[in-house]
Amino acid sequence: MIANAIVETESPEEFIEEIQKAQDCLPKKIDANPNTVEKGLAKLVLTLIELIRKLLEKQAMRRVEAGSLSDEEIENVGETLMKLENKMDELKGIFGLKDEELNLNLGPLGDLM
Amino acid sequence: MKLYLYGIIDSSDQTKESIYGLEGSDVYNIPFCDIGAVVSQISQPIQDVTEGAVLKHEAVVEKLMANFTVLPARFGTIIDGTDSQLSMIQSYYKDFTNNLARLHNKLEFGIKVIWPADKIKENIVKGLKKGKENTPELNSSRGRKFMTETFDKYKIDKAFEAKADRVIKVMDMFFSKFSAEKTLATLKTENLLLDAVYLVEKDKQDDFREAFEHIKGGHPELKYLFSGPWPAYNFVILSKQPGLLMDSQQTDLLDKVTQDQMLVGANSI
Repeated sequence: MIANAIVETESPEEFIEEIQKAQDCLPKKIDANPNTVEKGLAKLVLTLIELIRKLLEKQAMRRVEAGSLSDEEIENVGETLMKLENKMDELKGIFGLKDEELNLNLGPLGDLM
Repeated sequence: MKLYLYGIIDSSDQTKESIYGLEGSDVYNIPFCDIGAVVSQISQPIQDVTEGAVLKHEAVVEKLMANFTVLPARFGTIIDGTDSQLSMIQSYYKDFTNNLARLHNKLEFGIKVIWPADKIKENIVKGLKKGKENTPELNSSRGRKFMTETFDKYKIDKAFEAKADRVIKVMDMFFSKFSAEKTLATLKTENLLLDAVYLVEKDKQDDFREAFEHIKGGHPELKYLFSGPWPAYNFVILSKQPGLLMDSQQTDLLDKVTQDQMLVGANSI
């Protein structure tokens, strides 16, 4: 007895690869066993910081687009965002985390980022 | 003995033909009022998700679909015996009957679309370079340089997402004509433009298929995956959390089996 539903595609390998990619960046649960609790927590905290950083960055870009930032403000915001990004890179390096790992699956709400 | 749950059906009758489920056990219906929970006995919880086991689960649900409306259970749902099953079904009776009525005579179809993200971004970059004179002047110092680079990236991403939305809107317009409900996920990865599931009435499935062929013919540069008809895995809505099942081996009653999980099994038939 086998399933009757069909799956039709001319590019099965490409779809498998993309689905795998989409799944890989989303851990099913937070890994908080005694050996990795530090990394698990760092991942959670850095994910939230990354979310806030991206929101700030997006808001800044919207304001640049709208022309509502003065030259001085552009300079200050640019410097701040750059330092924030560098600090995040440093922290990711310390805990051995990659960009794609900083995400959370919020179930029915979708992915955090 | 533990019970493996395949789904809830809109009948308290036994299936007319013999169906064999996981571990080759008889599949039977545990009736409750006018509905039933279709199960088979299982000796141990499922440790690994194997292709054979997923296909067996799916095949049982599809057999049931031929004669009943089915609320498919998530693969691997195990209940601690008939009493637990009955109290679960009693607790969710209203939810189950509402869903069974809503999903009666309806099937689920999956559509995934891949687009050439690199090529599209390349074209966007070319277009933006041409219109560079319209962008704010952000040069020289470190902060400004960072802002310029980030702003360029922002514009590319924005144009990329806008283009994705436009393409999806056209596709969805065609598919929605023949579907009752849908869930759309866009750009799960840069290349995976669309990952959609549509709930389609049985007598509209040919029209839906035709709409898909039409779209496919209109955009040959994209890659498509069409799947179905599936049981309505993605359209069962429970109004409360499945807390009753917390002490059994699996707690995800009627949670959604992902199309991806199904793809893994069905692709290799």
